[in-house]
Amino acid sequence: MKHLVYLIAGIVVTVVFFILSCSDSFNIYEQLFFNQGYNDKMYNLNMYPVIAAITIAIAWGGAAIYYYAINSVKFDRWYHWLAVLGVVAVLAPVVCYIYNDTVFAHNGLLYIGESIQFEMQTVLFAALLFIVASYSIRWWSSNCRHTPLPQ
Amino acid sequence: MIKMRRLPLLVMCCVLLAGLTACGGHGQLEKAVRSVLVSGDTTRAAFDSLCSIVTDNPGKYGDLLTPEGKLDYKKMADFIEQIGSQLRPPMHWDTRPYGGVEDLSLTIYFERSGSMVPYDQRGGSGQLKKAVNDLINHFPAGSKVAINIVNDGIYPYNHTVDEFLKDRDIYQSTAGIGDASYTDFQLIFNKILEAQKPGNVSVLVSDLIYSPQDTHGVSIDKIFNEENSLATRVFARYKGKSVVVQQLMGDYSGKYYPYNGVPFQYNGKRPFYLVIIADSDVMDQLAQDKRYDGVLNATEVRNSYRFNQGTSEVECRVLPEWKDNAGRFRVKHGDGIVLAKCDGDRQTGKLCFSLAANLGSLLKDDALLTNPSNYEVKSIDGYTLTIQPIDQSMVTANNKEYLEGMTHVLTLVGDLKSPRDEVRIALRNELPEWVIQSSSDNDTSSAASSFPTTTLGLQQLLGGMFDAMKGGNSFFEITIQLQR
Repeated sequence: MKHLVYLIAGIVVTVVFFILSCSDSFNIYEQLFFNQGYNDKMYNLNMYPVIAAITIAIAWGGAAIYYYAINSVKFDRWYHWLAVLGVVAVLAPVVCYIYNDTVFAHNGLLYIGESIQFEMQTVLFAALLFIVASYSIRWWSSNCRHTPLPQ
Repeated sequence: MIKMRRLPLLVMCCVLLAGLTACGGHGQLEKAVRSVLVSGDTTRAAFDSLCSIVTDNPGKYGDLLTPEGKLDYKKMADFIEQIGSQLRPPMHWDTRPYGGVEDLSLTIYFERSGSMVPYDQRGGSGQLKKAVNDLINHFPAGSKVAINIVNDGIYPYNHTVDEFLKDRDIYQSTAGIGDASYTDFQLIFNKILEAQKPGNVSVLVSDLIYSPQDTHGVSIDKIFNEENSLATRVFARYKGKSVVVQQLMGDYSGKYYPYNGVPFQYNGKRPFYLVIIADSDVMDQLAQDKRYDGVLNATEVRNSYRFNQGTSEVECRVLPEWKDNAGRFRVKHGDGIVLAKCDGDRQTGKLCFSLAANLGSLLKDDALLTNPSNYEVKSIDGYTLTIQPIDQSMVTANNKEYLEGMTHVLTLVGDLKSPRDEVRIALRNELPEWVIQSSSDNDTSSAASSFPTTTLGLQQLLGGMFDAMKGGNSFFEITIQLQR
């Protein structure tokens, strides 16, 4: 039952993150980095929800791969888990940047510096979501349920 | 039975699916509309590509089609307007030129008085006739065009529009119509305004010299007062109208009939006028609809002025990325212009921000619009204003969205001291200087240096119209709220 509460809490946190990424008045992405022109374009081109979805997918996907695909006693130490977190924290901003750049280029816009700064947030959000996902789904892993911290 | 260990995977899939559904819910058309508006690519080709998305997917976008399966331009325009209103800043795209809106009709009232005949002599350059021909040709081919001859009354021109265009001697072919010895402006303006139907543009082609019957022995001041009063009286009766007066120059060769003197021969330039009368919304359409390009901004026009009832709505957007910007601010999205979290420049303490505005529909000349002394700027911290017209060199990929459809950049600079401030900009409503400079009170001799460029009593006639149509003290007002 306790594990199910973790799972539900993780989903709630993720859904709240997604909703806040779509918001106009209080957008979670605009709280940490704000450049009027850049952020207006992100909003107008409906990119926040896609960036958030990519981040969520990579964070939860990374956790799922670690706990259910890798799922090996050879990789059940905390630094193995940290390595996956590192991969997630690098992969998410790179994919988001590529998406960002593709959409801007398609619309004839040029925001390289702003995009790089913006993606620093994705590093943070991806890492946080990976931790949330880990604590949501680790309990049903046969070999890695004790990683990163024992129950 | 689903095993418990598969539960998180199942839930994850659900979360992902929900997320993807939320992202994809806006549809291909909304995405395309957003892309067009953000990139500032508001062209016919872009509109056509949006229309093809609708017509290619009748099942998905059936609500944007007519019962016959054709595109409903009105609904399409509403859809684009709805998407545009959700953007930052809200965007507007006038899609009327691309279809679905009936063409405006044009009625020409061609003055045929004694003093007009010398404007279209066979030996002259024919600027007057060319201006009218151009006006007709600037209307789309499908527009209804009617031509009337005016002097003591209004008489129909009994030939086709094509015949009018080809007519090399319009005054010869209309000789004998009405009484050419005087022009009854009161009757003409009343009839024009009375007869005007929605969607109609009426144009009086005239020298705007008030020449009533029997002026012998009447003082010029009395005539001017009469002229002024009748203009005010006529135009005050018809609400919701807008009038554009354009001044052009033409070759004049023939007898000139001064107000109270002996007619004399004059060969040279003289001003003539196109008085364009329409409902205010029709005039806005003329100014903005690209199908009517050239009607209000013909290159031959020397001066022009739009008389309007009431204050105009001016579309404007704060420019977040502009070379002059100093300090920091955030544009709050919603009603009105609100700059929040304002912070002065670190070195100077000044806040400088710019707005792109569409002042084109006001139909004022650039000299008036770009002179800050014509504006009233009120604020606690004493903001000052500069105005510059937008040219192509200012447009970059990143600011195109904000500058699209705009004509001028208004830059405000001030010391940010108060925690809250309200900057109010208003363009004063005054009769333009050119009207005063183009007006004379004596036309008895062509020897005066101002004779080729002035019209007797123009200030009184247009002043009367101005008094009748002056809706407020300003042409437009913009208010910007500043919050620290």
